[in-house]
Amino acid sequence: MDINITEINELETASTGRRGVGVHAENINKQFGVRHVLRDLDLSIRPGEFVAIVGHSGCGKSTLLRLLAGLDQASSGHLDLDGKPLQGINPDVRIMFQDSRLLPWRTVIENVGLGLEGDWRSAAQNALKQVGLADRAHEWPAALSGGQRQRVALARALVHEPRLLLLDEPLGALDALTRIEMQRLIERLWLDKGFTALLVTHDVPEAIALADRVVLIEHGAITLDQKINLPRRRERGTAEFAKLEGLVLSRVMGIEEVVSKNQFKGKISAILSDDPVLSSVLVETEHGTVTATISTRSIAEYGFEVGSEVLALVKANKVEMAIPR
Amino acid sequence: MATKTWRFDAERVLPWLLPITILVSWQTLAQIGWITSRTMPAPLDVVKAGIAVASSGELWQHLLVSTRRALTGLAIGGSIGFVLGLITGLSRLGESLLDSTIQMIRNIPLLAIIPLVILWFGIDEGGKIFLVSLSVFFPLYINTYHGLRSVDKGLIEMGGVYGLSRWGLFRQVILPGALPSILVGLRLSLGYMWLFLVVAETIASSEGIGYMTMNAREFLQTDVVVLGITIYALLGIVSDQLATQLERRWLKWHAGYRVA
Repeated sequence: MDINITEINELETASTGRRGVGVHAENINKQFGVRHVLRDLDLSIRPGEFVAIVGHSGCGKSTLLRLLAGLDQASSGHLDLDGKPLQGINPDVRIMFQDSRLLPWRTVIENVGLGLEGDWRSAAQNALKQVGLADRAHEWPAALSGGQRQRVALARALVHEPRLLLLDEPLGALDALTRIEMQRLIERLWLDKGFTALLVTHDVPEAIALADRVVLIEHGAITLDQKINLPRRRERGTAEFAKLEGLVLSRVMGIEEVVSKNQFKGKISAILSDDPVLSSVLVETEHGTVTATISTRSIAEYGFEVGSEVLALVKANKVEMAIPR
Repeated sequence: MATKTWRFDAERVLPWLLPITILVSWQTLAQIGWITSRTMPAPLDVVKAGIAVASSGELWQHLLVSTRRALTGLAIGGSIGFVLGLITGLSRLGESLLDSTIQMIRNIPLLAIIPLVILWFGIDEGGKIFLVSLSVFFPLYINTYHGLRSVDKGLIEMGGVYGLSRWGLFRQVILPGALPSILVGLRLSLGYMWLFLVVAETIASSEGIGYMTMNAREFLQTDVVVLGITIYALLGIVSDQLATQLERRWLKWHAGYRVA
C-alpha cells in the first residue's frame, strides 16, 4: 500500500510503523450563511508530504484545515483520507492551533497525556523529551513561555502518533528566533516520523523553509501550487530560497487582482512600531496621509521602510499595502 | 538591615493599630461612664459574658443549633443551585426551559417572602432552613451557570479533537474551567447563609445564637447581644477562610490564587 513512500520521502521512517496518510479533497465548498469561504477547491497530498498553505487572512485556509480536522463539515464535495471518506473527528488526524490550548489546570505532562489511555505517563514523558521539555513535565502551563507552550502542544499532538498533522499557524504568535527553532523542531520530527503535514501560515519564508509544496489560496480557491525542490535543511540566505520567496510573495501580494479604483500610489512617511505585533504605517498619497495597520513582522518581510513606494489599498474600513510593479 | 526589620514589623503591626485604638478608647469611655452599658457594653464585659455563657454550656448548645441550621440549608439550597446550574450551563434546552424562570424568582427580595414562609412552615426549623436554602441557592446557581458558559470554547474544541468522551470533556475541561466561578458562588453563598440565618433566628426561635441574642435583649443584657453579633461575625470569617482554603487547594494552577 505504501510502496512509493520511500521515493517521496527519502529519509528512513523506520522509527514508527505508522506513516503518513494521503489526503484527497475534491470540489470542496464551504459556506457560512451567505459567505462562500471555499469554492470548488481541489487538493491532493501524497502520504508523508509536507504542504504549506499561504494566503491572506480570510482566504479560507484555516477553514480548510478545520474541515480536515473534522471540526467543521464541508457544504459539498469529497474529502478522503487514504481513499476513505473523512467523517467527523479522526484519531489519525491531530491539529495544533495558533494558541496552544493547554489546560491551565493540568500539569505539562498531564496535558500531553490528555485523551490517552493505559500507560500514558511514559508515552507523554517520551513525547516531552522529543520536544526538549522533559524537565518541565510537572510544571503548570502558566509557568512556560509562549514557545515552550507550543512545544508542549506539539508533544501532545505527536503522542497520538498522528498520520496527518494539521498546523494552524502554530508559530504565528512567537518571536522570530523561537519561530526558527520551532520550524527546525517540526521539520526534524516530521522527517523522523513520516506523517503527512499540512501547515497554514501567513509567513512565506516559513512555508518555503518547511514545505515540499506551497499552495496559495485566494478567495477560497487554490491559485498557486509551487513545488519547493530545495534540499533540506534549507538555508534562508541562498539565492534559490530568495527566488522562490520572491515568486510566492509576489503572488501573495499580487496587485493584479486589486480593484484599481481603491488604490493610491504613495510613499511611506513614517513607520510606528511601538507594538511588537502590529505596526502603523503612514502613507503619504496625493489624497492625504492614510494609515495602514500591518503586522510588525511583515514590515521587514516586505522590506517596507520610510520612503518606499507603495500602493495603498482601501479594503472595507482598512488600508492595506502592496508593492507596485 | 535594622531599618528593614523595622519596616517588616510595621507592616504587620499597622493593620492592628486602628482596631486596638478603637477597642481601648471604647473600654476607657465605657469605664468613665461616657457610654452607658445600656447603649453599648464595655469590651471586657462582652468577654466576661462570653466566658459565662461558654462555661455554662449554653453557648455551645446555641452554636451547635445555629451551625446545624446553616449547614443543612447550605447542603439543600447549595446542591439544588449547583445541579440546576449544571443543567442550564450544559444544555441549551435546560437553559431555555429554566433560566428565565429562575432569574425572575431571583428578583423577588427574599426578605419580603418571610410572612409567607411563616405561614407555610410556622416558626419551626423548616422555615429557617428554607430561608437559608433559598439564600444560598441563587449565588451558587448563577455562578455555576456562568462559569460553565464562559469556559474557553477553544479548550472544549481541543478536548473533542483529542478524543475525550462527553464525560471526559466535562470532568477534565468544562468543570475545572468553571470551578473558579463556582467557588466565587460558594463564597457568596456562605455570606448569605449566615445573613439569612440571623434573620430567621431573630424572627422566632427557641434556640440558636439569634435566640440567645433576642432573649438577652428582653433582659437588656447588651453584653450578650454584642457577644451574639461578634459570634456571627466570627462564623462569617471562619467560613470565608474555609472558602479561601478550598480555592488554594483546587485552584492552585491559577496564578490569582497561588500562595505567594
